[in-house]
Amino acid sequence: MKRILLAAVAAFAAHAASAQSYPTRPVTMIVPFAAGGPTDVIARIVTEHMSRTLGQQVIIENVGGAGGTVGITRASQAKPDGYTIMMGHMGTHGAAPALYPNLKYDPAKSFAPIGLAAGTPILIVTKKDFPASDLKGFVEYLKTNGAKLNEANAGVGSVSHTTCSLLQSLTQAKFTRVAYRGTGPALNDLVAGQVDFGCDQIVNLVPQIQAGTIKAIAIATPERSPSLPDVPTTKEGGLPEFQVSAWNAIFAPKDTSPEVVKALAGALDKALDDDNVKKRLHELGGTIPDKQGRTPEALQKLVESEVARWTPILKAAGAVAN
Amino acid sequence: MAAEVGKSPAPSGIVKGPQAVVGGLALVALALFALWLVSDLSQGTLRSMGPAMLPRWLAIGVGICGAVLAASGFMREGHPIEPFTLRGPGMVVVGIVFFAVTIRGFDLGPIRIPQLGMCGAGPLAMFIGGFATRDVRWRDLLILALALTAACVMLFGDMLNLPIPLYPQWFSDLYPASFNNDTRMRVTAGILVVIAALVYFLVPGSKDPSINVVVDDTPGVQR
Amino acid sequence: MGELLGHLALGFSTVFNFVPVDIPGLGTIPIPLNILLCFVGCLVGTLVGVLPGVGPVASIAMLLPITFKFDPTGALIMLAGIYYGAQYGGSTTAILVNIPGEATAVVTTLDGHQMAKKGRAGVALGIAAIGSFFAGCVATVFIAAVGAPLTKLALIFGPAEYFSLMVMGLVFAVVLARGSILKAIAMILVGILMSTVGTDLETGQERMTFGQQFLSDGIDFSTLAMGLFGIAEILRNLDNTETRDVVRKAIGRLLPNMQDMKESALPIVRGTFIGGILGILPGNGAVLGPFASYTIEKKLAKDPSRFGRGAIEGVAGPESANNAGAQTSFIPLLTLGIPPNAVMALMVGAMTIHGIVPGPQVMTKNADLFWGMIASMWVGNLMLLVINLPMVGLWVKLLKVPYRLMFPAIMMFCCIGIYSINSLPTDVMFIAFFGVIGYFLIKLGFEPAPLLLGFVLGKLMEENLRRALIISRGDMMTFIERPLSGVLLAVAVILLVVALLPSIRKSRDEVFVED
Repeated sequence: MKRILLAAVAAFAAHAASAQSYPTRPVTMIVPFAAGGPTDVIARIVTEHMSRTLGQQVIIENVGGAGGTVGITRASQAKPDGYTIMMGHMGTHGAAPALYPNLKYDPAKSFAPIGLAAGTPILIVTKKDFPASDLKGFVEYLKTNGAKLNEANAGVGSVSHTTCSLLQSLTQAKFTRVAYRGTGPALNDLVAGQVDFGCDQIVNLVPQIQAGTIKAIAIATPERSPSLPDVPTTKEGGLPEFQVSAWNAIFAPKDTSPEVVKALAGALDKALDDDNVKKRLHELGGTIPDKQGRTPEALQKLVESEVARWTPILKAAGAVAN
Repeated sequence: MAAEVGKSPAPSGIVKGPQAVVGGLALVALALFALWLVSDLSQGTLRSMGPAMLPRWLAIGVGICGAVLAASGFMREGHPIEPFTLRGPGMVVVGIVFFAVTIRGFDLGPIRIPQLGMCGAGPLAMFIGGFATRDVRWRDLLILALALTAACVMLFGDMLNLPIPLYPQWFSDLYPASFNNDTRMRVTAGILVVIAALVYFLVPGSKDPSINVVVDDTPGVQR
Repeated sequence: MGELLGHLALGFSTVFNFVPVDIPGLGTIPIPLNILLCFVGCLVGTLVGVLPGVGPVASIAMLLPITFKFDPTGALIMLAGIYYGAQYGGSTTAILVNIPGEATAVVTTLDGHQMAKKGRAGVALGIAAIGSFFAGCVATVFIAAVGAPLTKLALIFGPAEYFSLMVMGLVFAVVLARGSILKAIAMILVGILMSTVGTDLETGQERMTFGQQFLSDGIDFSTLAMGLFGIAEILRNLDNTETRDVVRKAIGRLLPNMQDMKESALPIVRGTFIGGILGILPGNGAVLGPFASYTIEKKLAKDPSRFGRGAIEGVAGPESANNAGAQTSFIPLLTLGIPPNAVMALMVGAMTIHGIVPGPQVMTKNADLFWGMIASMWVGNLMLLVINLPMVGLWVKLLKVPYRLMFPAIMMFCCIGIYSINSLPTDVMFIAFFGVIGYFLIKLGFEPAPLLLGFVLGKLMEENLRRALIISRGDMMTFIERPLSGVLLAVAVILLVVALLPSIRKSRDEVFVED
């Protein structure tokens, strides 16, 4: 036993000495959601290119659970040697402190931010025979007939739930919220007209909107999206405060050495400049941050502002997980 | 070793169906436990059900079923409790828990259990679990454990590329730096097979004649 | 009709397409790449499906990155192959070692493993493969012919209808039990109760989690099934030297004979039909297929007491339903672009990674992909039959390994399999915990199957009940007023009455004694 321990210590010391040649073995990226979801897809597209820059494979490990907080908690407690990193997102690093009072990490303090990877814009959509077609009419209808309307979301803490909480707090409308397990079933009932409207990430919605099975009211970004050029922004529609995007960003555990952070941030930067990566992210309706927007410093600022923004909204919506 | 516990008492006196009585009481206990667990959650209304509504009514249903079952055990002649042993479940549970805590290390309060990875946790868990039966033969078990782990390293690590810890980092670092990940995996699997082979050839098998590995040649049974 | 043939022709030409591939040393040679990918998918799927715990979701997630190198059609053909290959492999594990890889294989363990214990493992595996192949062929044509119009069915089903459907499913669970009805109902209730553990979907509050993070998503199906069935079975066998030797002593025939085929023919047809219809429903209606098929076979059988003791109909019907449902569950994905279950959600992920966003237009925009995938299903099913029938002999030989060596190996595979899904050591501990629970359940004369069914349906039932009541603003009449929901509830009531009829109850009491 003792010998094993000694060997372990020696190995660790040897590693510390050779930190400048990071990485010398595969890097594990914890994605706190099941494979195949938007965050996972973005992580896979980005890491595929990062692996080439780093010269070592970045292996995705999906550790799902509790709105992503299980995986992020584990990753935050990993050895800060750069071999365990994670893909956080708006929920785990923005909304989580308001939703989970027993959270074992602090989004702003427990991490060494690497950089923003990609965001996906949020849309307000309705069933196809909804009485209103533009944002003004929609908000009007929401305020007068709110009690009759049902909003579909993917469960407390999901992107669709969080963003619609913002809509509720902005309009002060009293619509009924219906939770589904995931965006798929929620979308199904929206297409079938069982519920009236919802907010969700663009990636899930584009084909349905194009096929006319649901109706897009507005997109919550400053500019219109190239995938849906006909959908006006919330700014144009007269609700400029409704600006949200589901962002995904890479973090390392806190106390990760600056060299490692630099190597990872550099690899991410390079990946986001790659044409193929850009193309694939655009196909998903994703937005790629500009050069300043993807630095570790910018990410730290974003996390702080997001936590400050969501906490009061979610507390007001009464959505607090125990 | 295997303590025979819970030997069925003969159905005498007021308890006519001990199995039903014990089963029923277990259900009642489970129901009470669940009721206690959801006691601080709100039940809500039909229009907007609270989190406790369904679990509470389910628990009451379970409790009623349990009570009726237990009552039937007093009224009707029923089954005795089947005898059970502790050795089997005990060793299997220890084996599985051992695997769980050593596969990637585990924090147990102040104690940190080291990560052994699949190459350590797998065969050790199998070896411990193997003692669940009385006719354990540690030599065969050891050979199988090592060989199977080698196969698992190739299958899960090399072929399927599962993100499962295979061995502790310090072990991986023992290899020359020029070895890439796949080579390390393959060499490790090779080492395990060599050890298994060494045990096979060097450790004499038991002389007990009853251990012929396949006991299925009983005449008349094979169709 | 002509249109259908045209579509199928397009599909098969996509599948049999020769792609020039650069092979080192040989130059550029045209090879049928898609066929190869389909074969690799089926092979890998079978392999992964056989490993306990590693179900289709885990395996597709694992192998997703490998498909990056191929064009989207090839990649999806391969992933689809992994999916139904894993279904095939999963039945093998259910029959041989009593571990259901996923909800749909629970029923297979009931009679399949009993058949294996009686030395008829080969027959059970054979009939499962043949039934699945038949179901796969029918389902392929079915999807091609009426897939698009049937999509509307998915849209009729709202929360109220799903609730009624789940109630009907729970009635199946009563019928499927062997022992006393009271115990079966108790187990179903316990199953639903267990399904409510975890974060409440509507309010986000934690229920019965002891404040533990690993419970906040509830109890995982694979851990529960592996513990209650797989580990508990080991523990029970360890007690009982006689039963476990039976497995090894008599091996019997390797493949089903004419008599077996005759007995299975109608169950296979009925199973295919039921599974195919239920598979179309989003919200995981496919789960109900095997249960419904089992219930019907048991009700139709002249001697229902054979069920649960190795009745071949109890394997043939549900296995066909399972495979038919697995394929028709592609319909909502391909025609609506909405994934009905976790596996399909993963397929959506795979499609988006490959730059195809699934939606209502896939059928027209990516016609070759759509019909190619459908055609590949038929080809894949044929391949699975070819892969699996010869393997039956190999699997049956595995049963000859002495149990004292067999069970530690099963145990280790379970540990690795369950760990690989979520990388959580607590999941591994859970299989030990549920194993012990399952062991004592058996000792107390309770059956684990109704519990597991209650667990699977319970979550869907509660969510849809609450959703329906929220939408109806608390009006219970919604379940009766909506016609489809009313019909489903009526069927459930009739089934329950039939199950409770005294005459049937008497025969139930006769088979009360297990084993």
